[in-house]
Amino acid sequence: MNKFMEKFIEIAGRIGAQRHLVAIRDGFVAIMPLIIVGSLAILVNNFPPFGSFDFVAWMNGIFGEGNWQTVGGSIWNGTFAVLGLLVAFSIAYNLAKSYEVDGLSAGIISAAAYIMLVPVTEDWGLNFAWLGAQGLFVAIVLSILVTELFRVLVKSKWTIKMPEGVPEGVARSFKALIPATIILILIGFFQAIMSVFAEISVFEWIFSVIQEPLQGLGNTLPAAIIIAFLNHLLWFFGLHGTNIIGSVIEPLYLPLIQENLELFKSGVSAFDVPYTVTKPFLDSFVFMGGSGTTIALLAAIFIVIKQQKNHPYREVAKLSAPAGLFNINEPVIFGLPIVLNPVMLIPFILVPVTLTIISYVALSTGLVPKTVALVPWTTPPILSGYLVTGGSWRGIALQVFNLVLATLMYIPFIMAGARTLKAKMEDN
Amino acid sequence: MKIILVCSAGMSTSMLVNKMRKAAEDRGMDAEINAIAESQLKNNLEGLDVVLVGPQVRYLEKKIKQQLEPQGIKVAIIDQIAYGMMQGDKVLDQAIELKG
Repeated sequence: MNKFMEKFIEIAGRIGAQRHLVAIRDGFVAIMPLIIVGSLAILVNNFPPFGSFDFVAWMNGIFGEGNWQTVGGSIWNGTFAVLGLLVAFSIAYNLAKSYEVDGLSAGIISAAAYIMLVPVTEDWGLNFAWLGAQGLFVAIVLSILVTELFRVLVKSKWTIKMPEGVPEGVARSFKALIPATIILILIGFFQAIMSVFAEISVFEWIFSVIQEPLQGLGNTLPAAIIIAFLNHLLWFFGLHGTNIIGSVIEPLYLPLIQENLELFKSGVSAFDVPYTVTKPFLDSFVFMGGSGTTIALLAAIFIVIKQQKNHPYREVAKLSAPAGLFNINEPVIFGLPIVLNPVMLIPFILVPVTLTIISYVALSTGLVPKTVALVPWTTPPILSGYLVTGGSWRGIALQVFNLVLATLMYIPFIMAGARTLKAKMEDN
Repeated sequence: MKIILVCSAGMSTSMLVNKMRKAAEDRGMDAEINAIAESQLKNNLEGLDVVLVGPQVRYLEKKIKQQLEPQGIKVAIIDQIAYGMMQGDKVLDQAIELKG
C-alpha cells in the first residue's frame, strides 16, 4: 500500500508540476476575471422576472428597448467571445515565464500568430466564431508551439543585442525581433499552404477532429463521475485535485458553458440550452463548501457532536466554517483530517459522486435548468445555485436537496470517526 | 527572519500567514512572513531564510528544494495537522527549528 501510495503521489505530483500543463492552467486562471465578468453581463442582460418584478422590462422602459443591454453585450464581445485569443496570449506568457524568457514578447507573438490563422470574413472582418471557445484548442497548441520556438530562438545567437545603456524595454523588443520574424513567417507559410492545398482552415480542422469529439465526451455522465472521482482521490492523498486536473477540465468545459451562454444570450431558456456538465455544474451542485461537499460534513459534525463543546471535530468544524461558506476547505481536509483517513475515504468520494449523478439526472431531465452563468468558485452555495441556473429557485432547491442528502450520508461516518478517536484517546 | 509559504492560490494559506504573523508579534519576534504562488518564488529570494510548502502542493517540494537548498534556504512541507488547524504558533516553531 505504502509503495503504491508513494508512486501515486509522485505521478500526480509530476502531472501537477508539468510545465506545459501548468502554463495552460495558469493561462486560464489569468483570464478567469474577464470571463466571469462576461458571463455576469449576460446574466444581467437576460435576468428572469422576479415575482412580478421584471428587471429587463423595467430597464427597457427607462432606457428604451435593448439600449442598456449594449453595455453587457459589448463586455461579452471583449471577454468570452474572444476566449481563444485571450488564452493564446496568456498561455504563451506563462510558459515563457516558466522558461525565464521574455513572457510579454512570447505572448504578443502568439496572439499575432493566432490572428494570422483566424479565417477572415468576406467583408474583411475577423470571424468571431473562431476567436472564442471554438478556437480554444488551436490557441493551446499554437501558444505552446510558438513559445517553444521563441525560447529556442531567443536563447540562440540569432538575436540583436543592443549596447549597454539602452533602456531595457527597447533592448527587449530588439531581442525579440528576429525570433518574431522567423515565427510569423513560418506561420504565414503554414497558413498559405493550408489555404492553397486544403479546403479547410486549421481552426475548422482541429475543431472537428479533436475538440468536438472530446467535448461530446465531456458532456456525459461517466466523464463527470470520473472527474469527481479523480479530484477527490487526489485530495484524499492530500494533493490539490482541482489544480492538478484543472488543465484538462478548463479547455474541455469552457466551450460548453460558452455555447450555453451564447444561446441563453439569444433568448433560449436555461432549460433548453444543450450542455449539462459544465464547470459551474460541478462547482455549484457538487463541490459545495469545497471538494467533498465538506459544508455538509461540517453540518454533520455539528449535528452529531452536540454535547462536547471542545471535541476535536467540533473545533475543526468551528474553525473551518467561515471559509467553508466560500468553498475553501483546506482546514477541514487537513485538520480533521480527511487526508489518508480510512474512515473518511468512503464518504469523501461517495458523497460527491452521488451528488454528481443526482444533479446530472435533475438537469438532464429538465427538473432544474442547466447552467448558463459562470460565477467565481468562491460564491457561497444557495446564491451560486440561483445564479448559475440563470436565476431559478429550482437551482436553489437542488442545492438544498443535495446538502441535506450529503449531510445524512456523512453522519454515520462522523459517528464512526468519533468512536475511533475516542478509543484512541482512551488508549493513550 | 524571512519566511515564505508556498501554495496554489493562496486562499487558505493567507489565513495561516495572518496567524503566524500574530504569533511572531506576540513573541516580539522580527519576522517577515508571506504567502505566494510557486511561480512568484524566484522573485522573492532576497534575504529569504525558510520556505514552507503547503501540504496540498507537496509535489513542489522536490523542485523547490533543488533550486533553493544550494543557496542555503531551508525548505519543508508544513505539518499537515498544524496547517489544517491553522496553528500559526506551531508552524512558526517549525520554521524557527528549520532555520536552526
